[in-house]
Amino acid sequence: MVRIYVIDNGGQWTHREWRTLRDLEVETQIVPNTTPLKHLLDEKVQGLVLSGGAPRIGLDSPLGNCAEYLEKTRFPILGICAGHQFMARYFGGTVKPSKVPEFGKVEVTLLQDDVLFEGVSKTSIVWESHNDEVTKIPKEFQTLAKSENCNIQAMHHTSKPFYGLQFHPEVEHTEYGEQIFSNFVKLCEEHAP
Amino acid sequence: MFHPEKFIEKTIASLQQDIKGKALIAFSGGVDSTVCAALVNRAIGERLIAVHVNTGYMRKNESEQVQQMMKDLGLHARYVDASKEYYTALKGVEDPEKKRKIIGEKFIRIFEKVAKEEHVKYLVQGTIAPDWIESGGGLRDTIKSHHNVGGLPADMNLTLVEPLRDLYKDEVRKVARALKLTVSERQPFPGPGLAIRIIGEATPERTRLVRDACDIVETEIEEAVKKGLMERPWQYFAVLIPIKTVGVHGDKRAYGNTIAIRAVQSVDAMTCHYSTIPHEVLDTISTKITNVLKENVNRIVYDVTNKPPGTVEWE
Repeated sequence: MVRIYVIDNGGQWTHREWRTLRDLEVETQIVPNTTPLKHLLDEKVQGLVLSGGAPRIGLDSPLGNCAEYLEKTRFPILGICAGHQFMARYFGGTVKPSKVPEFGKVEVTLLQDDVLFEGVSKTSIVWESHNDEVTKIPKEFQTLAKSENCNIQAMHHTSKPFYGLQFHPEVEHTEYGEQIFSNFVKLCEEHAP
Repeated sequence: MFHPEKFIEKTIASLQQDIKGKALIAFSGGVDSTVCAALVNRAIGERLIAVHVNTGYMRKNESEQVQQMMKDLGLHARYVDASKEYYTALKGVEDPEKKRKIIGEKFIRIFEKVAKEEHVKYLVQGTIAPDWIESGGGLRDTIKSHHNVGGLPADMNLTLVEPLRDLYKDEVRKVARALKLTVSERQPFPGPGLAIRIIGEATPERTRLVRDACDIVETEIEEAVKKGLMERPWQYFAVLIPIKTVGVHGDKRAYGNTIAIRAVQSVDAMTCHYSTIPHEVLDTISTKITNVLKENVNRIVYDVTNKPPGTVEWE
């Protein structure tokens, strides 16, 4: 059984991320974002989900030890909403308040194939809840999906198994949410020693 | 996957460990508190006392039905009619967060009183995941203070036991089905009751209006579901908006309140889509509400907001 922890940045749907992983038979726990990396490594964690956060947290907050996780780990990391925005900032991208914030139902379009989106249709319905967004993608990243009002809905590090999603795959109303999670779990299994 | 049988077994074992002596359960008659009561009843039997508080903000005949349920479940039960107390406490209160906190504190004070009489130290609550998530705390923003979490007074002297904390409604329903409880498919009803379905002050008179309107919405939607006209929504009710608009009643000017019809589809209450109620059903609901409440209501609107950006309830 693969072990993936959810780093709690204070999002409303952190516990849903935990639930989705548990439903996929993953060994999972929610831990505070102040958890030392050493503790995660001692627990033999094989992947992380960086949760969304309280309002505006993605814009300028350090998000606990998230920087250390991104700097020092090799296993897959999935940043969601504020977690995604933090990932972009950490690698040199830009996050700004959205011109058109998105709440609830939005259609996203995939821009290229990726293992994270295997089995996901080119356009699909996702659920959103964000005031800020990534406006400039970091150099080492590629954009994987966009929506009408947000150009960077999904991104992928070109040489590390790091992903960021602006939308929320963990909620029931996101059409392919569980599929995306299941792809991420597979990725963690493949990377596991 | 979530395995209800395993959950039941594990929970009963830990309840037997955790509860030393007698316990009270806050029993609203909804799925969460009924599942909790059944589990704790299995764990500690007669040492459990179920308390149902009538806040005055219950739906039509609800408290009578809940008392019958407690009997049917074979619970050692107590009933407290606190409606007058609640109406007095909410007099002049318009802010939704204040309403929720006053209601939450009152619940605890009533339970503390019963606990003293019965020599009880533990309070069992049917708190589920969205209750503590939305109540906020730590890094998490407060969306609304659920009466059983964010509405708890700081100085309460009962030890809380919350066996369903990590579950969502769909999982609680699975446990209810495994326990063969008839309540398993009942629609959710918030602890603060009709008080948060009245925008502004929740006076007894306004409560009567929204209670009648909720009853009509429930009856008509259930009828439409039976006829196969629509899928059964996750939750369906009426909200009283005390904003007056002009109407005409038999050649006479009318000037009354507005009622909103709200129905949503969801699995866990964390995200929702508004339900598509067929126009013929909306039409019947609209006509019935305005006829029955004609002195006070002459306009009906239909809420088409998803969550996010909205929440299921309006307050």
